Amino acid sequence: MTVAGLIRVASTGTAGAAVPRPRRSRIAAARLGGGLAVLVPIVILSSFITYSLGALSNSDPAATILGQDAATPAAVRRLNHALGLDHPLVVQYWHWLTRAVRGNLGHSYFTQIPVSQSISQRLPVDLSIALLAVVLAVLIGGSAGVAAAIRRGGWLDRGVTAVCSAASTLPAFVVGIILVVLFAMTAHLLPANGYVGPSTSIGQWLEHIILPSLALSLQVSADIARQLRTSLVEVLEQDYIVGATVRGLPYRRILVRHALRNAAGPALTILGNDFPIMLSGAVAAEAVFSLPGLGQLLLESAQTRDIPVVQGLLLVISSFVIVVNLIVNTTLNWLYRTSDGIGT
Amino acid sequence: MSRSSIPGELSVAKEGGAAGGQRSLIGPRSVLRLRSARIAVAVLVVIGILTAFGATLAPQNPLTVNANALFQGPGPHHLLGTDYLGRDVLSRLMAGTRLSVLTALEAVGIGLVLGTGPGIATVFLGRWFDFAANRVTDALMTLPWIFFAVAVTAALGNGLVQAMVPVGILLAPFFFRVTRAATLEHARAQYVEAAALLGATKLHIVRVHVLRKVLPTIAVTTASMAAAALLAVSFLTFLGIGVQPPAPTWGGVLSSDLGYLAQAPWAPFIPGALIAITVGALNALADAFRDRSGAGTLVLASPIIRTHSTLEPADDDEQSQYVA
Repeated sequence: MTVAGLIRVASTGTAGAAVPRPRRSRIAAARLGGGLAVLVPIVILSSFITYSLGALSNSDPAATILGQDAATPAAVRRLNHALGLDHPLVVQYWHWLTRAVRGNLGHSYFTQIPVSQSISQRLPVDLSIALLAVVLAVLIGGSAGVAAAIRRGGWLDRGVTAVCSAASTLPAFVVGIILVVLFAMTAHLLPANGYVGPSTSIGQWLEHIILPSLALSLQVSADIARQLRTSLVEVLEQDYIVGATVRGLPYRRILVRHALRNAAGPALTILGNDFPIMLSGAVAAEAVFSLPGLGQLLLESAQTRDIPVVQGLLLVISSFVIVVNLIVNTTLNWLYRTSDGIGT
Repeated sequence: MSRSSIPGELSVAKEGGAAGGQRSLIGPRSVLRLRSARIAVAVLVVIGILTAFGATLAPQNPLTVNANALFQGPGPHHLLGTDYLGRDVLSRLMAGTRLSVLTALEAVGIGLVLGTGPGIATVFLGRWFDFAANRVTDALMTLPWIFFAVAVTAALGNGLVQAMVPVGILLAPFFFRVTRAATLEHARAQYVEAAALLGATKLHIVRVHVLRKVLPTIAVTTASMAAAALLAVSFLTFLGIGVQPPAPTWGGVLSSDLGYLAQAPWAPFIPGALIAITVGALNALADAFRDRSGAGTLVLASPIIRTHSTLEPADDDEQSQYVA
């Protein structure tokens, strides 16, 4: 608090641009640290919800694993002891969490494959789709939003708005099916299903993930376009934009350097908020395009009640959401930085 | 509360022609003056009728298999065609409406009850309750609903009613945040302060001054959350969670069409359009209500977890950070 205050005084003393760089990065690091501290109770809470969900289930894992014939009371007790299920819930949770932090999520009840191994095998599929979807959403949504804001009131603006409202009613799995019908069944341009890793062939990898990513990105693109349009229209009416125009700066420069930079924040927030939706959408895309991803693993393990796999998946997914959120917040913080230090 | 000065919300309030928060009491009649709202209500009335009487109104038995009429296109005999077993698609969709709509309402109801109550209470119950409720909300928002819902069906048994409970729980944070923001805005008004000075109890303040001001916001959120819940139901039924195969559902029709795209590439568009129209009607109703009342779903433009103090307005009088 006092350090930040001192630095702020120092930086207002040295006018504007001459803020010493290392100090800035140190404040940034401190802010990141503060952000991480806020996350600790959230991580603990969400992982506890995750863990207790599995533990409270009315299934009896030992009996399920052993099968009906072998599930004698003594055998069940032995197995429960081996699995650590005879401890109180909180103790079980603590063991699970401390192991999870070290990358050990336990073993599947049925296949004995480590949970972390099956997750890391399938993670690249979803990461590929999700990352490409983010890129597509930023490109499509960003350009549509900017175009609508520049030509506000025109036919382009109305068109973008109409398409966005339509797109936001279409869930990813419906969009995915439409894309399959259009590009795979009718035009025969792209494969309708399956997955090829990027290490095998970059071209085939792209061919297989472009349609799922497109299906996933449509709704997010619409959200970004709408938010960017509203905030850009707002920013373009500000005095400093008028000032920059009066000073004769080129329009493109005003748009990119002055307006977009200030309008990008809310759109970026939307992107961060939509990330959990995108993960749900990835499950939909997996189902439509039959990709071997986390969603398939989740559905399979839910069907067989393979609780460690379900718990591990939920933990990994919610950690992803938290990390993405932290990245978005840090970026927002950087975007909203003021001349007298970082943030307020 | 300067959170309402998020650009998007401001302009919505401006376009709506009502000064945000000033004219909060908007009756349904004023909303219906918008054409989009009238269309939306008409669509929802049809869906409502289908929910109540869909199975009896269906022209044919949704379960009757007809091997002589597989993959027929829309025609006089089957208005929306037939599926891979020759079953009438229109009848299947009509009969499937009830389960989809009722379970969506179940989720919205759970979210509404769990979210709005604490959302209002948190403003009056002090900092610790507020802190705890907000952290729980943050934690819930890190769980993507489909993973949570499937995990719950793994734990509690495979059924659509069970699967929609977690969806409802995950809708609660949205209700919570929106209600809390709206309550904060109104609870700091001067007339509330005056009422408190006159010795009004917290309960009286909530009932008389806060609740009716917050209601339009809750209504907007309920409509858009109903749309989200409906999407969730159709996706869950699409994945085949909680439904026994012959039973007709919207998502189930879609997923069975997906297996036979080579024979009938147009088929998925029918249930897809039904889902999109219903969701679109709910969204349009929410938009109309928001335009009329100036009440916003504030949650959209604030981060899931606010890790940095600069991301939320520090004080009432302070200018918003968004347009710096």
